[in-house]
Amino acid sequence: MVAVTLVPDPVALIKLHVDMLQNMILSSVVSLLLVQEIHTNEKEVTEKEVTLHLLPGEQLLCEANTVLKCVQEDSCQRGIYGRLVCTDFKIAFLGDDESALDNDETQFKNKVIGENDITLHCVDQIYGVFDEKKKTLFGQLKKYPEKLIIHCKDLRVFHFCLRYTKEEEVKRIVSGIIHHTQSPKLLKRLFLFSYAAAAQNSTAADPKNHTVMFDTLKDWCWELERTKGNVKFKAVSINEGYRVCERLPAYFVVPTPLPEEDVSRFQGHGIPIWCWSCHNGCALLKMSALPKEQDDGILQVQKNFLDGIYKTIHRPPYEIVKTEDLSSNFLSLQEIQTAYSKFKQLFLIAPDFLTIFPFFSDNSTEFWDTDIKWFSLLESSSWLDIIRRCLKKAIEIAECLEAQNVNILLLEENASDLCCLISSLVQVMMDPHCRTRFGFQSLVQKEWIMGGHCFLDRCNHLRQSDKEEVPVFLLFLDCVWQLVHQHPPAFEFTETYLTVLSDSLYIPIFSTFFFNSPHQKDGNVGRESQDTQSKPLNLLTVWDWSVQFEPKAQTLLRNPLYVEKPKLDKGQRKGMHCKHQRQLSLPLTQSKSSPKRGFFREETDHLIKNLLGKRISKLINSSEELQDNFREFYESWHSKPTNYHGLLLPHIEGPEIKVWAQRYLRWIPEAQILGGGRVATMNKLLEMMEEVQCLQEKIEEKHHSQEALQAEATSLLRNSVRLSSLFPFALLQRHSSKPVLPTSGWKALGDEEDLAKREDEFVDLGDV
Amino acid sequence: MEPEKCGGGAGARVSTSPPRRRSQRWGLKFIVSLSINQPLPLVPANPGPELPAATDLFPLRVYEALWTKVCPGERDARARESSAWQLPGLWMPPRGADPSMGPRGEEGAGTQIAWNSDLHQLEGHLPALWMAAESGEMETPLSSEYDFSLANIGRLEAVNGLSRVQLLRPGSLLKFIPEEILIHGRDFRLLRVGFEAGGLEPQAFQSEPKDGVFFLPQVTMAIVQARARSSQAQQYAGITLSKAGWSSGSRKPPIPLLETSEDWETERKKQGARGWRVSTVNERFDVATSLPRYFWVPHRTLDSEIRKAFGHFHQGRGPVSVRVRRLSWHHPGGSDLLRCGGFYTASDPNKEDIRAVESMLQAGHSDVVLVDTVDELPGLADVQLAHLRLRALCLPDSSVAEDKWLSALEGTRWLDYVRSCLRKASDISVLVTSRVRSVVLQERGDRDFNGLLSSLVQLLSAPEARTLLGFQSLVQREWVAAGHPFLTRLGGTGASEEAPVFLLFLDCVWQLLQQLPAEFEFSEFFLLALHDSVRVPDTLTFLRDTPWERGKQSGQFNTYTQVYNAGYSQPPAGNSINLQLSVWDWNLRYSNEQILLFHNPGYDPEHCPDSWLPRQQPSFMVPGPPSSVWLFSRGALTPLNQLCPWRDSPSLLAVSSRWLPRPAISSESLADQEWGLPSHWGACPLPPGLLLPGYLGPQIRLWRRCYLRGRPEIQMGLSAPTISDLQDELAHLQELLKKWTPRISPEGHSKKRDPDTILSQSR
Repeated sequence: MVAVTLVPDPVALIKLHVDMLQNMILSSVVSLLLVQEIHTNEKEVTEKEVTLHLLPGEQLLCEANTVLKCVQEDSCQRGIYGRLVCTDFKIAFLGDDESALDNDETQFKNKVIGENDITLHCVDQIYGVFDEKKKTLFGQLKKYPEKLIIHCKDLRVFHFCLRYTKEEEVKRIVSGIIHHTQSPKLLKRLFLFSYAAAAQNSTAADPKNHTVMFDTLKDWCWELERTKGNVKFKAVSINEGYRVCERLPAYFVVPTPLPEEDVSRFQGHGIPIWCWSCHNGCALLKMSALPKEQDDGILQVQKNFLDGIYKTIHRPPYEIVKTEDLSSNFLSLQEIQTAYSKFKQLFLIAPDFLTIFPFFSDNSTEFWDTDIKWFSLLESSSWLDIIRRCLKKAIEIAECLEAQNVNILLLEENASDLCCLISSLVQVMMDPHCRTRFGFQSLVQKEWIMGGHCFLDRCNHLRQSDKEEVPVFLLFLDCVWQLVHQHPPAFEFTETYLTVLSDSLYIPIFSTFFFNSPHQKDGNVGRESQDTQSKPLNLLTVWDWSVQFEPKAQTLLRNPLYVEKPKLDKGQRKGMHCKHQRQLSLPLTQSKSSPKRGFFREETDHLIKNLLGKRISKLINSSEELQDNFREFYESWHSKPTNYHGLLLPHIEGPEIKVWAQRYLRWIPEAQILGGGRVATMNKLLEMMEEVQCLQEKIEEKHHSQEALQAEATSLLRNSVRLSSLFPFALLQRHSSKPVLPTSGWKALGDEEDLAKREDEFVDLGDV
Repeated sequence: MEPEKCGGGAGARVSTSPPRRRSQRWGLKFIVSLSINQPLPLVPANPGPELPAATDLFPLRVYEALWTKVCPGERDARARESSAWQLPGLWMPPRGADPSMGPRGEEGAGTQIAWNSDLHQLEGHLPALWMAAESGEMETPLSSEYDFSLANIGRLEAVNGLSRVQLLRPGSLLKFIPEEILIHGRDFRLLRVGFEAGGLEPQAFQSEPKDGVFFLPQVTMAIVQARARSSQAQQYAGITLSKAGWSSGSRKPPIPLLETSEDWETERKKQGARGWRVSTVNERFDVATSLPRYFWVPHRTLDSEIRKAFGHFHQGRGPVSVRVRRLSWHHPGGSDLLRCGGFYTASDPNKEDIRAVESMLQAGHSDVVLVDTVDELPGLADVQLAHLRLRALCLPDSSVAEDKWLSALEGTRWLDYVRSCLRKASDISVLVTSRVRSVVLQERGDRDFNGLLSSLVQLLSAPEARTLLGFQSLVQREWVAAGHPFLTRLGGTGASEEAPVFLLFLDCVWQLLQQLPAEFEFSEFFLLALHDSVRVPDTLTFLRDTPWERGKQSGQFNTYTQVYNAGYSQPPAGNSINLQLSVWDWNLRYSNEQILLFHNPGYDPEHCPDSWLPRQQPSFMVPGPPSSVWLFSRGALTPLNQLCPWRDSPSLLAVSSRWLPRPAISSESLADQEWGLPSHWGACPLPPGLLLPGYLGPQIRLWRRCYLRGRPEIQMGLSAPTISDLQDELAHLQELLKKWTPRISPEGHSKKRDPDTILSQSR
């Protein structure tokens, strides 16, 4: 096996390959014109040298030349010859695909991951094609495929034809890719560490980054103060150095009267941990369940312990506590996993290869057939229904906190999956701060990173257990997307932000999503061990967006429609913002009334109750009382003008939960609408925003710092002629959607025999 | 002149008690008014001061105020702020936030207006349920979302309590005193009218009005009966008339109605169709009553040839050019899009006739593509069934569970039909745009899907059709003048051939609008208005099946009918309106504020047709193969030996073209071949003006604002500051700036938002 595990001296190796690169003229990029000779265009046959860009610490592991990457462009299949390389960070294809990309549209380019780059963690499945049959590839191969199909976790699909590659290179690249993407890995061998070691000096903390990391006691105190939770809760440092529990962060917040020794009693289990405080003083708490025991004695001890805890938090000044057990009666991780794997299949569509490889026709036809069955396929995956159930649960909890004035205690086995999901959803709905960009990032940091969500296992970064792979965080992002989609002005960030955030899950230069707990992270970056010769590794956080995107591209992450909370005290500004105040700052009144007096004006108003109840009741399978409360809360909120700086509830009816098209459809060229989609109006919007700002400035005669930023965004959109509906992603594909009109016998002027002949030609040409 | 007594008010008593809660401040005052069809008074030739004021013509209606509980009041207030009329890209200021508005309904409290005509005379138009809070504008009787025309009422239910629901039919008796009546609109709206104590008083049971006061049961039954008796064919002219008088003087239709040959000539010149002329052969409707009086034919074809040739088509509908001159992407060119009926195969044409037919189909081009229109499109019955299912699904009380909603939606197949229309239209627009050729749409009757396809193709390939005026002309030309049987298709005649093809078309247009929001000058609101106008019988536009009937009614060609159509009854000359009012006279039904919303603020003026001047000479176009004839069917082009079915093989369309299965997957895009540069396509923009819609599963969406209007969660609306919101702010700021610094006149960046400039600048 030429496989790739042993790397001699990285520097020498890189040098070798750089030399190789310089000497090598890449195989010319020949557009494979499969049917039409007359259309062969000379310009296509250009020779271009493409260099491999390596990140600091990145090592080239293996490569293969004259690989044909199949592109579907305009439904006209062609291939691009190039080099397929595999490094310890990514799989990259180097071909002449960038020739057309030298204009403004590429401004959204990711600086770390190129268009043809797949990070090793982003690889989902690898298939090989043997004698016209598609098989999953894993482990040691006896036979090497003539074609490699890579499905990515961000739903890209790559086809690499290895038919023209040297056999030895095929062996090397295929086994290399399989080895590095599929086999279990040690945490220490994550690219993260080599990158951090190599890029030690170049990283400086972004001074403008206001994301609260929650890794100091101060951060927690700040959060307590912000939410006015500091009256009843205190931040504790009992777990400093992870002495008590490795699942808990170093600092966290508990009810003030809770004795600190209780925390260590069951290693942090059974302790109510504060998540967030509502403006009326109610709090959202979470608790990891006590270990299940058979022994009656221990059970009794546990019971007494819990009784003590409940006594503490039931007593005034605390409100009544209601426990939500997320382990039972709610989603199971298994359900989420199954649903997502069904759901993603809807979007993993292979490029159209009928002509090159007719045996793929089964795949492609499937895609066309799905059009008719689209909705029922979507429904049968039940992913949207899972989203609905999460949103509904969050609304229920919001209702308890807001309208019933009770504390909520979320209970889960480890308090690190659905607990994170639900508590952060509730906060996005209830706390306008969490809808700003930094607020949202802080929220993810607080609930997910410090909350100990096992990103490593849930994303299966180390390939250790497929069973553990559950896209809980993605589910959360999808739920937030529903909110963003329904109430765009309430969020400072855009759906593009959510999409790139979901992509960042698989980029192993950021530490954020590559640890199971803060303890694991601290233990591995050498922050704990003082004796090491080097200073602790400085890991990048994903929140430093400048690592991935140029400032210009970052404007697309910011929602131009977002209206900041109006500040009433600024006299002059008041005039300017009067409109927004009128629209956006209507007082939040509905929830203060007692839940029994609700929205329905009269008891006699049966019909409406009946009509609405019928529908809402379908959403609810819990108790009658809960159903009433929920319905009243939900209906009454939606019957009032939306205050974007207050409570925000999503619609959860059947037609309202939608597919996050930008994330799931962006790599399907057919799904593009050239010159269409939301981006089409965005240009106009930004133009007007600019003008509004300009006028405001004139009136105010004050300087506006935001102006420059807006102008940039405008120019970004303005320069490009016609953007596609999947902007900013689809541009990188440079596809245009065109009607697909098969023309049997277009050339043949009316002769049936000729027609048949031509069909033979098709196949022959495909083999060229 | 004095209108007959009629009209009705309802609701015995109006709550005089002050609102009990804050929420009731939003309670709406409703006026239930019923009006009857009037013998039409003649309009004075010179409508001067003698003409009664608009409101004087309205004793037709008697108003009665009612406090209602149509939805709980709070929601109402919200609904009005942010629902039906608040569309993406549209915005109305939140009126609910204005406290001065609240208690206005009280003004009508306690008023009792008798109605003194016999209920049984009720016929005709409007049980307009009319929102008093907005009733300052009496001129636009159906402008509010609470207004229903009788023709629009699909089902009427009386409800009492939780369980008692009675479906009301003419002649049925109320079994209980309803608390509420539910009016299910055929346009997907649901109106709930609730009554307080008034409806419950004992005298309500009396069948005779006491003291001339009517009560809920009577009103309910009156509506039922009126609905039963009204047919869509009847035009209610009272309002039309008053409006006409009101906007008196010599008026021009907002868009050319294509009822004169001048209109056609102007249109032809506008399109730059040189090889064509306006034929007057059908001036007296003796070639085909379903064809317009004038149409375009190839320059060289003689009228006598046309008359002969048309005989060989189904119902005499020969090829008629619908659109001439297209530009291809880099060479000016001029394809023609033609539509014709099916070949009438039983006829036995002689050689000259065949030659005439062929030359008309070729229209001077050597490359002819015959498009089998119905192929891959749903049948009429399918469309009707899908529409019924969709309506059932979208009802507020539809019993579909939330998690089964998507598959239920799929089960209606409506979206699937929308998809096939869009796909086919997109294919045809590629055919038309790519080469100089003549593309012939052939459908048996040439009155349904031909119109749908040709309009969609024009929307896709001609920017001028995407303007507000252009779209209206398009509908007028391809649907109204081309003889789409609106009355039959919309169920007005009670015939079995009901099929809302036009509504299907509007849905297709909406899909384009939501996919390509910057390309259209009109807004979703405009489409909704058009959608709703279909059932408003105040103009003849959608009330007749053929141009001939329409013309007959409006009496514009009395002389001809007398001479040439002696067999037909002479139209009652006195009943004619002769005002040429059309549905495009939007101010009949909509207020100026609403008309302003027809304009899509996101429209990018770059796409304006001005910058896209027609270039006519096809000399640079890629010539087709010599005399090639193709059949476009199942998504593929197949060579044909001949155009006409009579020569030596059986008829083309008589033999179903379904023998060609649609290939599951494309082998090659037609567009690639058409433009000859397959691999460079990505780097090149589409040919100017050409749009290609997406029609994949996830891209075809439900027109929620239209179909889900009855559901509270849609009415609640998803409000968002949109472009027009910004536009308002911009205007506001500019005003401020002007006020403060009067010398600086800010650049007029915001559009002139004046309804006149939007609607009436015809030509």
